[in-house]
Amino acid sequence: MAIKILSVDDSRTIRLIVGKAFRPYHVTIVEAANGEEGLAAAAREKPDLIILDVTMPVMDGVTMLTKLKEDPALKAIPVIMLTAESGRENVLQIARLGVRDYLVKPFKEDQLIEKAGRCVTLEKRPAAAPV
Amino acid sequence: MPPPPDINQYKEIARRYGIAAAPESVSRLTQLVARQDSCVDDIVRVIEKDPGLSARLLRVANPRAADESEYTIGTVDEALLRNGIGCALLLAMGTPLSLALTKTFQTMLSLKLESVDLHQLDTLTGLHMLGSIGFAGKVAGHVYLRLSSASATAIAASILGLPPEELGTDEIRDAAGELLNIMTGNFKSNLCDAGLDCKLQPPQVGMTDDFSTPIEPGGGLERLAFRADKIEIFVEVSANPWSD
Repeated sequence: MAIKILSVDDSRTIRLIVGKAFRPYHVTIVEAANGEEGLAAAAREKPDLIILDVTMPVMDGVTMLTKLKEDPALKAIPVIMLTAESGRENVLQIARLGVRDYLVKPFKEDQLIEKAGRCVTLEKRPAAAPV
Repeated sequence: MPPPPDINQYKEIARRYGIAAAPESVSRLTQLVARQDSCVDDIVRVIEKDPGLSARLLRVANPRAADESEYTIGTVDEALLRNGIGCALLLAMGTPLSLALTKTFQTMLSLKLESVDLHQLDTLTGLHMLGSIGFAGKVAGHVYLRLSSASATAIAASILGLPPEELGTDEIRDAAGELLNIMTGNFKSNLCDAGLDCKLQPPQVGMTDDFSTPIEPGGGLERLAFRADKIEIFVEVSANPWSD
């Protein structure tokens, strides 16, 4: 069965890059554009992993993470932060809330796969036959 | 004032997550500029230890020179004495942006972006893409990103791994906005770590033919230019580090 990953980022560019990174694997990507949509998607889809941005409109990533960790049904879902913000206070606050990993933008797709692979088992799709 | 974050705890978490710190010289310079009573000698010592910072300061201090042979101001000490702490302010603001932009190109576009003198690039004319992000708090200002439509399209195509003809206006604008977001997020982290707490506003991206850049009251304006293959980028930062 495919692993389900929820990508929460207000940038469509980042959501596309995340989708592209996991394309070679048996992964279903669910997308949300802010923390509020992200929480709703997490409750509905029960993803195996959440990849979460910090600065977003409507509800930011720190607020979403806080609410996620307060919800008994969702708090065990591993979260990888994917953000350009690497300031000390931000990192400490997020680490204390409980995240599995932290990836600072700019990032390489390989780095994201490596960190995701430490949280869930990623299985490669068979290579497409040459046309 | 909130207590300073636990440095040792941060270092342990940063090591575990593989988070790289900003260069020591940039952090130290930002901290010195953040204090209004810093002594010029302390600032000189920090800049002199970093060849990149020294070169940029001398470039800023000799605006009319075509190259180093035409410099009339040849030392860091002289540049700061003649131009004041404003020069250090420009370095402290521009350097993290420059580092973040070149790192983004190298990491996500596999392109080596070079910092070049403004006069080495063709001037943008007419309608072009302008992105801006405001930041407010102990330091206030805006970061601006200007580029031609052709450069914006090339960047979006490279980031997304798609042919340019498959890209719509929304994808191109979103990619430019994300580039600005990454650059400014790194910049903001450096400011916050130096004690200049601030928050970012959402990025705005659109087309314009207006080349005027508003300067933050009481602050300065730094203009930077970059080139990679056919891509040309102009970055401007206007900031007042003592806004509160």
